[in-house]
Amino acid sequence: MSKAKPMNSATPVVLIVDDEVQIRRFLRTGFELNGFSVIEVGTGAEAIRSASLQAIDLVIADLALPDIDGAGVIERIRAWSTVPIIVLSVRSNESEKVRLLELGADDYVVKPFGMAELLARVRAALRRQMRAASGEPQVKIGPLTIDLAARAALLNGARLSLTPKEYRLLQVLAQHAGNVVTHQHLLKEVWGSVHVHDTHYLRIFVRKLRQKIEPDPNAPRILVTELGVGYRLVQNGEIDSPAWPHGGATAAAAGSKAG
Amino acid sequence: MQRIGISDAARTHLRNVIYALLIVAATTAVRGAIQWYTGVTHGASIFLIPVIIAAVNWGIVAAVVSALAGGAAAAYFFYPPYFSLYIASPNAILNLVMFIIVAAVIGHLAARLRAEAERARQREIDVRALYEFSRRLAAAFDTSEIHSAIEDHLSTVVERKVVLFPSPREASILPHRRTIVPDSVRDAVVDIAQGGPHSSDTVMIEERPDSTWLVQAVSPKSLEFGVIAINLGRVTKERVNDLRARVGTALSDATATLERLGVAHAINEAHMRSRTEQLRDALIGSVSHELRTPLASIMGAATVLGSTQALASEPRLRALVHDVYSEAERLNSDIQNLLDASRISSEGVTPRMEWADPTDIIHAAIERCRRRLGDRRISLDLPADLPLIHVDAVLVQQALVQIVDNAVKYSPAGSKIEISAAAHDDKLAIKVRDTGVGLTADEKSKMWNRFFRGDRLLATTSGSGLGLWIAHAFITANDGAMTALSAGPGEGTTITIELPVAQAALVHVESEADE
Repeated sequence: MSKAKPMNSATPVVLIVDDEVQIRRFLRTGFELNGFSVIEVGTGAEAIRSASLQAIDLVIADLALPDIDGAGVIERIRAWSTVPIIVLSVRSNESEKVRLLELGADDYVVKPFGMAELLARVRAALRRQMRAASGEPQVKIGPLTIDLAARAALLNGARLSLTPKEYRLLQVLAQHAGNVVTHQHLLKEVWGSVHVHDTHYLRIFVRKLRQKIEPDPNAPRILVTELGVGYRLVQNGEIDSPAWPHGGATAAAAGSKAG
Repeated sequence: MQRIGISDAARTHLRNVIYALLIVAATTAVRGAIQWYTGVTHGASIFLIPVIIAAVNWGIVAAVVSALAGGAAAAYFFYPPYFSLYIASPNAILNLVMFIIVAAVIGHLAARLRAEAERARQREIDVRALYEFSRRLAAAFDTSEIHSAIEDHLSTVVERKVVLFPSPREASILPHRRTIVPDSVRDAVVDIAQGGPHSSDTVMIEERPDSTWLVQAVSPKSLEFGVIAINLGRVTKERVNDLRARVGTALSDATATLERLGVAHAINEAHMRSRTEQLRDALIGSVSHELRTPLASIMGAATVLGSTQALASEPRLRALVHDVYSEAERLNSDIQNLLDASRISSEGVTPRMEWADPTDIIHAAIERCRRRLGDRRISLDLPADLPLIHVDAVLVQQALVQIVDNAVKYSPAGSKIEISAAAHDDKLAIKVRDTGVGLTADEKSKMWNRFFRGDRLLATTSGSGLGLWIAHAFITANDGAMTALSAGPGEGTTITIELPVAQAALVHVESEADE
């Protein structure tokens, strides 16, 4: 078991909480091959203990744990820590995902998932944590730069003219760049808690924002929708992601030809 | 178990007696007026009128009361000495006694006539109901129609709401009945269905003072016809006995009809089938869950393996790892289909409606299908100003994935799949069009069925036959409709999803929500 590392050192420490030993094994290998060090536990109680005893940079938590459920783990950790938490969820339960995000999870991946997808979420969450610690005011998403200090957005270096609400929307998304932001959170931050159920405001303003920031607003690549959950600004590396096997049909075709 | 309130009966009698007395009073007034104007003094026969009226309308008790009251009134007002019950002439006393006897006999006859007429009316209703019932049974298509026929038949006969528990052993888990049938009644139903001590009796339960329930097996011989519960409401004791008899007659008529038509056997078979289906769904649910966990490990491990340095220079090994991944993925989506299907048939679909941009839904669906497309191209035609729709976006996306998946499966490599969306007349239509094998008329009529797969390509394509059935269920749950068009075999297929658009609420948003 790796010793605790100080926060933000060269090798980030990931705490993996899952009761399936095979899942833990591939996650450990995947993370270690990508320059992380790993602590793994099988129960919620152990997870809470580990997180309080050691310096952890990020938590990966499965939802179905034998003792405490995933929501309980998130709540307990969030009581004293802002460490990024990424949830491993099952499909077709969007309301559960939203609930976990509201409880303080930073993002989720849906089982079964590829390592590349999980790494992208992890890196986005770590980057946000670092940005918060260092006070870095700029968020770059492909051709788009959001300068949080200057309250400005630039596309390919040219300043965009955004209405106050459009900017506010972009700003909240940029603060979580790479990670999903729920409808409720966006509505509360941009329009106030009275409008927390007015999803149609969001749909219309996202459309307007896409007209300004997307190269092809009808096929969005920067501001993407997570159906039933919220929106995500896709981080730098992800846009032309070579991350097999999520690279799409070309990778698949190449693979079968080689075989 | 028979506990019936009696105060109602007393109240009805009291009311009838008061009416009888009022009408006697009115007659007395008329008789007085006649004597005043014409001077005719003798005779009590006019007091037969209120006796007959009371007998016909309010029964024998009211008739007797009005006879006695009429006699008393005559003695008091019209036989000398006046304004006294004392009667001087023996002749007059005889006269009055005769009057009371005649009144009592006439009253009794009139009351019996009334009861007979009432019975005849009821019998006519019963016969008409029974005729209607057997007509419906003969035309019944499945057991639920038979059950509702029994329910309706009894409702007509007893003029009250009847609840039928078709498979009463599970009465305790019938959620849609819970709202109308109280727990004590439900317990009685289960008790009867399990062949308890009262299984051939009529069980009466006084749930509240104003609601008395009657519970009885439709047929004491064969419990598969179910058990009925009737809320009799606030009733008198005689009325209860009457209703019990009527229910008994109606049920034995109904059972005779059911037996004649051989319905028992059919219902039995349907029960067996539905129990098998329940078992299958439960099995599918738990097995699928157990299968998915190892699949997540396999797929995750394959992605780690596929991205290692060691394999970077080994394309053949990488291809093998890729096959592990994509086969596991296929298995996973088959399992997901089974899970969706068992969810649809066991608990139904409850959509979580929200405002959604159709463009988002279509892109998400394409993203999910991308790996299965092979070298087929997708051409998209989405107008920029599509209206928002109020749907469960995730369900609509999953339906679209099934449709696109189906298009991929039945169209040649290298072909084009066109996806377009357009709004017209408060409907949003999403079309998925392929240039594949098309549909025959027979396939078109069966394609929405569960487990249906076209015979023509059974050997060359894989699948469970669940995809379009799931898509159809999901779209229907969103108040949408799905249609398929094909010019014939080999001519390609166009599947259209239509969803309602509710634009009205949105008009003001753009100006109002941005300051």
